[in-house]
Amino acid sequence: MKRKYSVMAVATAAVVGGAMVAPMAAQAAIPSITIWVDAPRLPGAKLYAQIMKGKVNVKVELHGQADLLAKVQLFNRVKKGWPDVVFGPPNDVAVLKNPLINNALNLDKLLTPAEVKNFGNGNSWCKSSTGTYCVKNDLAQTVLWYDTKLFKEFGYTVPKTMEEFAAIGADIAKNRPGYSLGAVGDQGFYASFLWPSQCPLNQEKSATRVVINTASPKCTRVAKLLQPLVNSGVLDKRSYFDAGYIKDVGQAGKIVANIGPSWWGEFVLRPAGTFAIPAGRIATAPMPIWAGEKVNYSGEWGGGIYTVSPHSKYPRQALDFAIFMVSDKRNLVTVKNPDGSFGAPTFPAYTPGNALWKAKVSKDTYYASNPFPAMLAQSTKIFPGEKPVRYDSNGAWGAAFAPEILKNGDIQKAVDAYGAYVSNLAQQLGYEVTKS
Amino acid sequence: MAKTKHYRHRNGAMYLMLAPYLLLLFFFGLLPAIMGVLEVPKPSMTNANGGWDAFAIVVQDFRFMPAFKHVLGFMAIFVPLMIIFVIGMALMLDIKPSPWKKWLRMAYIVPASISGAVAVLVWYVILQPTLSPIKPILRFFGITEASQIWQTENLVYILVGMAFFAIAGNWILIQYGSLQSISSEILEAARVDGCSVFQLAIRIKLPLISKYIIYMSVLVFAGGLQIFVEPQLLNSGVYQGIANSWSFDQLSYNLAFTSGDFGGASALSILLLIPSLLGALLVIYRTDMFEGAQGHIKKKEIEVQAI
Repeated sequence: MKRKYSVMAVATAAVVGGAMVAPMAAQAAIPSITIWVDAPRLPGAKLYAQIMKGKVNVKVELHGQADLLAKVQLFNRVKKGWPDVVFGPPNDVAVLKNPLINNALNLDKLLTPAEVKNFGNGNSWCKSSTGTYCVKNDLAQTVLWYDTKLFKEFGYTVPKTMEEFAAIGADIAKNRPGYSLGAVGDQGFYASFLWPSQCPLNQEKSATRVVINTASPKCTRVAKLLQPLVNSGVLDKRSYFDAGYIKDVGQAGKIVANIGPSWWGEFVLRPAGTFAIPAGRIATAPMPIWAGEKVNYSGEWGGGIYTVSPHSKYPRQALDFAIFMVSDKRNLVTVKNPDGSFGAPTFPAYTPGNALWKAKVSKDTYYASNPFPAMLAQSTKIFPGEKPVRYDSNGAWGAAFAPEILKNGDIQKAVDAYGAYVSNLAQQLGYEVTKS
Repeated sequence: MAKTKHYRHRNGAMYLMLAPYLLLLFFFGLLPAIMGVLEVPKPSMTNANGGWDAFAIVVQDFRFMPAFKHVLGFMAIFVPLMIIFVIGMALMLDIKPSPWKKWLRMAYIVPASISGAVAVLVWYVILQPTLSPIKPILRFFGITEASQIWQTENLVYILVGMAFFAIAGNWILIQYGSLQSISSEILEAARVDGCSVFQLAIRIKLPLISKYIIYMSVLVFAGGLQIFVEPQLLNSGVYQGIANSWSFDQLSYNLAFTSGDFGGASALSILLLIPSLLGALLVIYRTDMFEGAQGHIKKKEIEVQAI
């Protein structure tokens, strides 16, 4: 008891003394930041907290990707509680920078010229006419993933055009029943086919106008080319993450090829918990090109972002965390993940970090050939028309597209259902929806 | 003088005993409702100028009618199924004393312990044709692929299943309890008069516990109307988005937390309060649920007068 009082007395004296001897107090003020990350980013974030001990007090919290949007509205009400820096899904930036929500700091003044240069075009998703409101953790550009063993066995060559891709599908349906070119019952269909085909779905033109037009030829050609593949089951109606698809197709080694994001290999094909494809089989190729196009565009599935809160007292320290995640070898290559793998599974959006990741993936004997060159080639070809929007454009794939495709297996109908759903959402949130 | 003091004393004790309830009612019932009403006219992303038309906006929301249909369909199956099944089971449980009964009662409780997130997982596995322990049954119905199960229109049945097994057991025991409150003299008299077991159940027991049945109906109705956890969890599982804004509560949640429209969310919540409130008023004024003790006293007084 006595001791407690004496401690309190000393503390009181220190506070009073500190107030009188102001310069002394400065050394006591270690910046503290709170960061929110999802599970794949947690090992890196924890490591960062350890590294920064004594310099910055870092509090790491594990949150689902959707948590910030749900909670920020409550923080805004009580005017406290905002985390300093948050990893989130890419579309969030449009909501967070909305003045009504106001939880994405304009980073233009904070980013050094070197950092801006290192992000390069990889960060164009985060930029708008008024500033840069996030930094990208990774690029999730789609590439063609294929199984070299099956390709050899079946005598296929890597498709360069979408027609060739569909031809392989037709051959599988006829001669190799049970084999697959992927699944279509989730957001992957958007990233793999609609977005690369430039189908206008979430093309924000200004803060008050968005183009959604599922009747555009750029959309209808997708349905036309791929409908036979869905009918024959070569493109599965289920989600990639459906337990049945994982077991019957993925783990059975029956995926001949599929168009998937750059994290597909490290996060889905390889881990024992998902498709568990054995080593030495998987390779990547650039995206097949749509007929009549000059560029073989990619779409993006994911490609998370870091946003810094304008309420943060230490915005630079908060941004430093994001830079660490995309540039430091300790996160990108060496940190140990709970599943036993090492480093980040995703393609860093930051040039120096990307070089480290390249070195790691390129020498990885898991792949039949170096998967990096195709990813690099596609990283600058993400079709820039699709934009972050204030409504939940990703959630709508599950809400409108997937139920329709599961039910009738009709691609165009499902795309139309998505278009109608997001048009409604967009209008509700103050957008004018136009066809072009 | 002494009499009023006595009464005042008695009232004081009454209010003291009521105080915890009143506090909870105020902080978790009235205060949120008042805050909700005050929230409605505030400007939001969907109601830029603010005002009471938040009610009109939310009713015209493109997700409102689907949610209405879903919840209506759900209630149309769930509420009658609950009532008939629960009462039936409780009556059967009440037929004869047997040493099995306590095990039976426990068996009813077991499914009820699997609720919320766990129930969603359990049902996902049961209905997933590749993992299911009831594969032959699924196959018998021609279900070999998950895509046949996880469709928005099937959710009504799946959610009825989840909700039913999660709460039916508890209600069976509660209604069994209410059957225990029937005086054995009445039952004895009925038996002496030649009542069969079936007649005893339908003619004697049912009318005597009718107020508990109405009470249960109202609670089941209100609970069903506010279904949230199960569809919300399904919606964030493998088939992400399958139950997006499926129920009213989910729509309200989405309005508040994905569209930042607290006004619309409040408006919808207030609309939801109305049927539940009507149900509660029905129980209070149209049944003798809450006048048990007084009722008895009155009857006794009458009997005494008659003598």
